[in-house]
Amino acid sequence: MSVGAYGWLVLGFPLAGAILLGTFRKVLSGRKAGAIGTLAILFSFLSGVAALVRLQDRPEDARQVVSTAWDYANTGGIDAGLSILVDPLSLVMILVVAGVSTLIHLYASAYMVSDEGYVRFFAYLNFFVFSMLVLVLAANFILLIVGWALVGAASYLLISFWYRRNTATKAGIKAFVINVVGDVGLVLGTILIVQQIGSVDFLTVFKAAPTAFTVDNGTLVAACLLLMVGAFAKSAQVPFHTWLPDAMEGPTPVSALIHAATMVTAGVYLIARMHPLFQLAPTAADVGAVVGLITLLVAATIGLVVTDLKRVIAYSTMSQIGYMIMAVSTYSYVSGLFHLMTHAFFKALLFMAAGSVIGAMAGEQNLNKMGGFRKVMPITYACFIIGGLALSGIPPFSGFFSKDDILYSIGQQGGWHWILYFGGYLGALMTAIYTFRMIFRAFHGEKCAEAETLANGRLYHAPEHRNPADGTLEDTHVGYPGAKHHIAERSPGMSLSMFVLAFLATVAGALQIPHVTEVLHNFLAPTFDGAPRFDEPIENGPLLIGMGLGTFVGLLGIFIAWQIWVKKPGTSAKIQERFSGLHKLFVNKWYFDEIIALLIVRPFAALGRFLQRTVEHVVIDGGITQGSVSIARVSSAAVRSWQSGLLRAYAAAIVVGTSGVLLYFLVKG
Amino acid sequence: MEVTLLLLLPVATALVGAILGRKLVAAVSLLGALGTLGLAIGVALNWKSSLGGNQFKVDDMWISQLGIHWALTIDGLNLALVVLAAFVYASVVLALALRQPEEPRLFFFHLGLGATSVIGALLAQDLILFVLFFDLMLVPFYFLVGQWGTGDKAKATLKMVIYTLAGSLLMLAAAVATGVYAANVSGNHIDYLFSNLAHVHLAKGTQQWLFLCFAAAFLVKMPAVPLHGWLKDAYKAMPLPVLALFSGVLSKVAAYGLLKAALPLFPDAAASFQTLMLIIGLVSIIYGSALAFTTNDARLVVGYSSIAQLGFIVIGIFSLTTAGAQGALLQMVNHGIVTVLLVFIVGLLANRAKGSEDLGSMGGMAMGAPILAVVFLIAAFANLAMPASANFVGEFLILKGVFDSTAVIAVLACLGVAMAAVYMLRMYIRAMHGPDENGVEQREITFKEALPLLPATALVLALALSPQPLLKRTEGPATAAVAQAALAKGQSPDGKATTAKVVVKP
Repeated sequence: MSVGAYGWLVLGFPLAGAILLGTFRKVLSGRKAGAIGTLAILFSFLSGVAALVRLQDRPEDARQVVSTAWDYANTGGIDAGLSILVDPLSLVMILVVAGVSTLIHLYASAYMVSDEGYVRFFAYLNFFVFSMLVLVLAANFILLIVGWALVGAASYLLISFWYRRNTATKAGIKAFVINVVGDVGLVLGTILIVQQIGSVDFLTVFKAAPTAFTVDNGTLVAACLLLMVGAFAKSAQVPFHTWLPDAMEGPTPVSALIHAATMVTAGVYLIARMHPLFQLAPTAADVGAVVGLITLLVAATIGLVVTDLKRVIAYSTMSQIGYMIMAVSTYSYVSGLFHLMTHAFFKALLFMAAGSVIGAMAGEQNLNKMGGFRKVMPITYACFIIGGLALSGIPPFSGFFSKDDILYSIGQQGGWHWILYFGGYLGALMTAIYTFRMIFRAFHGEKCAEAETLANGRLYHAPEHRNPADGTLEDTHVGYPGAKHHIAERSPGMSLSMFVLAFLATVAGALQIPHVTEVLHNFLAPTFDGAPRFDEPIENGPLLIGMGLGTFVGLLGIFIAWQIWVKKPGTSAKIQERFSGLHKLFVNKWYFDEIIALLIVRPFAALGRFLQRTVEHVVIDGGITQGSVSIARVSSAAVRSWQSGLLRAYAAAIVVGTSGVLLYFLVKG
Repeated sequence: MEVTLLLLLPVATALVGAILGRKLVAAVSLLGALGTLGLAIGVALNWKSSLGGNQFKVDDMWISQLGIHWALTIDGLNLALVVLAAFVYASVVLALALRQPEEPRLFFFHLGLGATSVIGALLAQDLILFVLFFDLMLVPFYFLVGQWGTGDKAKATLKMVIYTLAGSLLMLAAAVATGVYAANVSGNHIDYLFSNLAHVHLAKGTQQWLFLCFAAAFLVKMPAVPLHGWLKDAYKAMPLPVLALFSGVLSKVAAYGLLKAALPLFPDAAASFQTLMLIIGLVSIIYGSALAFTTNDARLVVGYSSIAQLGFIVIGIFSLTTAGAQGALLQMVNHGIVTVLLVFIVGLLANRAKGSEDLGSMGGMAMGAPILAVVFLIAAFANLAMPASANFVGEFLILKGVFDSTAVIAVLACLGVAMAAVYMLRMYIRAMHGPDENGVEQREITFKEALPLLPATALVLALALSPQPLLKRTEGPATAAVAQAALAKGQSPDGKATTAKVVVKP
C-alpha cells in the first residue's frame, strides 16, 4: 500500500471507532468499549508506522506525499480538495498523537470504569483523536481549519463530559468560544493568503510565497499574525489561555490527552507547518517569540501558588508550550518539535500519576488536603519523580535535552534573543520549584487521612459526593470516581501505560543528543530543508554553558522547593506575607479572567440587553412597527366603510393594487 | 412539462386530498410532497451545467395585452433552492401527517398553496410572474397563522401583513415600472422576461428607485434589521411546522430575489447602494446575534439567529463577487435545512418541558434523551457554521468574497461568527445540559418524533462531506448574477479591481 493509503487509514480507524461506539452504545457496554476505543487508536498508530516505513523508502526529495479523496470546495477562487499531506512533520505528529493516545486510552479504559458514560467517553475520545489527526494531516488551509475546529468541538464535549455540572458546562463553552475566536483568526489569515496567492493548498502556497511576498510584506505579516491568533487560542498562550485551567473540569485522562499531549500543541505544529511563511514574516515570528516568553513566565508564576493538583500541571503545560512557541517562532523548528514530543511523554505521565492520587483522595484535588502519599503509593511517587525531573530539565531525563536544545538555539541568535534566553532559564527555575512543591506537598510530610486509610489497606471513601470545583453536593453518577472506586497504580492497564510513559520520559532525549544522535533532525530534513539555521553546526562552548546552566537552575529549584516545603515548613507562609502583593497577583492568575470579562464579555452582554430592552422595544416595536400599523389603521379606517373585514382586506389589496398599478402604467406607457 | 408539474403538484394534491376528506388529506398531501421532492431531485440530477436555463423550460404568453409570460425554468440559480423548497415542504408535511392539526383539510391546502407559490417564485422567469408568486406566498401563511396560530395571533398577523404588504406593493409598482421603462428605452413591445430586461440599460436614477423598492420587499421578507419588527410576534404565533416552512424557505426566496432580480436588472444601482446593503447585512448579523444570546425563548433564538444568518447572505450577495454569491447560495440551502431541524427540535424540547419554550424551564435533558442530544448538537454546530459543516464552506466563501470587496465589513462580520458560537451553545447547554432542576420529562426521542428530523440530519451530514456537487452547478449562474453589478462597481467577480471601468451599453 502507498504512503497516502496508510495516511487515510490513520484517519479511518479512529473515525470508525467513534462511529461504532456512538452507534452501538447499548451493545458495547462494559469493558468492550474501552477495548474497541484503544484498539482503534493502536491501529491508527500502526498505520502511521507503516506510512513512516513507506515514506523512508522514498528518496528524500519525494517525502511530501499528497493524497486527494475528492473535490471539497472548488469555486470562487478557492481550490480545496479533501486532501492529506504525509510528510516527516505530519508523521512526527501522528506518531506522538496516536502513540500517546493509545496509552491514554488504555489508562482510561480502567480509570473510567465505574462511570455511567463509559461508552460515550470512548466515542468522544476516538472522535477527538480523529480530529487531531485531521488537523495534522490536512494538506490545505480549509481542511486544516476543519481539523482545527473539530478538535475544539471534541475538546468541548470532553471538558463538558460531566455535563450535569454547571462548572463543567461553563468551562466547556469558555474553551469553545475562545477557540472559535482562534478559528476566526485562522479563517481571516487564510483569506489574506488566498487573496494573494490564489490557492489554499499548502505546497502550492509555500512554493509561491517567496515570489509573491517580499520579506516582511505587510499583508503577509498580517496573515501570519492572524494565523498566530489561531495558534495562541489552541495552545493556551497569553491572552487566550484562560480556558485551559478551567478545562481541568474534564476527567483526568482528558487532561492528559488533550490538555497536555495533543490539542494544545496544535499551535506549535501550525507555526512549524507554516514555516515558509513565517520565514518571510520575521516581524510576526518575533511577536510569537515574545508571546511565548510572556506565557511561559506568567504561567510559571501562577503554577507557584495554585493549590489544585491538576491545575498546577495545567499551568505547567501552558508554560512549557510557551517554550515550544518561542522555539518555532525563532526558527528552531526541530527543537520545538523535540520538546513537543518529550513534553507529551512526561506531561501525560504526570497527569496519569495525578489521576492515581485523585483516586486515592476520592476525587479531591486540593493540594492543601494532601500529604504523605510517598510510602503508600510508591509507583505513583516514582512516576511523579521521573515526570518531575524531566519537566525540571534534570539530566539525563528527556526534558533536559529538549529544553536545552531550544535555549541553545535561541542563545545562538544573539541580540534581543538574550532576553528570551535568560527568560527561559528563569522559567526553568520556577518550573523546578513549582513541580517539586507539588510533589513534596502531595507525597511528603504528614500523612493525610486518605493516605492513612490507604496505608491500612483500604481505599478512602468520601462520606458525600461533591463537585471538587465548587463543593456542590452531587449523586455518584456524575464526576470521579463514580460509584465504584479504584486507584491507578493498582490496576494493570493503568500501571502499564504509566510504565511505558515513564520509560519514554526517561530515555526519549536520546533521539537528539548533540554530537551523538540526530535522529529527529535528519528525519525532519525533507520538511525543513532550507529553513534558516537548520544546518548550522553546533558550537561546543555555548552548548556546554547552556547545559550546565540548565542543570544548575533545575537543581537549584528543587533545592529551594525542598527548603520551603520539606525542611522548614512555614517558610511558604512567611514568603506570602512578605510579598503579599505579588502573591495576590499570582493567586488571582494575573486577573486575566477579570480583564477579559470587563473588556469583552460584559460589553457584549450589555449590548445584547440594550438592543433587546431598549432598541427592540422603543425603536422597532414602538417607532417603526407602531408607526406603520397606525398609518395602516388610519387609512383602513377610511376604507372600512366600503370593505367588510379589516385584515382580509389587506390580502385583497394585492389584487386591487396589482390591477390599479398595472393600469396606471399601461395608460402612461 | 416537468416544471409545470413541479409547480402545481403541491397545491393540486393538497386540494385533491382536501376533497377526498379529512382522513385522506394528510396521506395525499404527503404523496404529493414526496412526488414534488422526487421530481425536483430528478430534475436536479438531469440538469446539465453546460445547457443552463434552456432545460426544463416553459414559456407561453400568458396575458398578451400586458406582455406577461408564463415562463418557468430551472437554471443554476434556482436549482438547489427548488430542491430545498420541495425537501422542506416534504419534511413539514411528514411531521404534520404524524401529528394531525385541527381542520386538516384547510391546513394542508394552505400549506400546499404556500409550497406552490414558493416554487413558483423560484421558477418564474418573468418579473411580473415572480412578483405575483412572491405576493401569493403571504396569503396562505396569513390564514395559517390567523386560524391555527397561538398566543396573540391577531397582533402577529397584523404586523406581518402590514410589513410584507408595504414591501410587496412597492415591489409590484417597481416591477411594472421596470417593464414600462425598459419598453421605452428599447422601443420594443412591453415585456417582463428577465432575460430581456437584463439587456436593457436603464438610466441610473431610474435604476436606483426601482432597486430600493425591490430591496425593501426582500429585506422585509428575510427579514433584515431594521425591517424585522414583525418577526417576533409572527414567530411566536406560528404553529411549529408552519414556522419550519416559513423560516426555512420563504426568507430564502427573498434572498434569491436579490440575486435574480435586483442585481441583474439594476446593476448600476446595486453598485451604488453596495455599501448601504453591506451595512444593513452587517447590522443584521450583529443585531440578530446580540438578540439571540439575550433571549430566553428557544424559538426566538432560532428566529434571531435567522436574522443574523440572512445578514451573512446579504453581505455575500453584495460583495458582488463569485465567491460571495456562491457562499450566499450555499448558505441559503444550509440555513434552510438547519432551520427546519432547529424548529422541530424546539418543539421536542417544549414537549419535554411541560409545553414551555422558555430555556429557563429546561435543563439536563441529555440524560434521558442522548439521541436527541446528538441530533440537536449536530444542528447547533451546523448553525454556528462549525468548520466541517457545509455552513462553514458557505460562510467562508461569503467572508472571502466580502473581504475581497470591502475588507472591513468582513472583519466586523467575524464578530457574528464568534457570537453564533455563544448563542447556539448557550441554547444547547441550557436545554440539554446542567442539572435537571426543573423536572423536565426525561424521555428519549421516539421513532415518530425522529422521522421528520432524519432526512434533514442526513442531508446536513451529506452536504458537510461534499458541498462541491452543489457549488459546481451554481458557479456559472452565480457569477452571471453579480457580473453586471460588479462591472458597474469597477471590479471583476473574482474580487479584483478591473483596470478600466466597463460601461454597459444601453
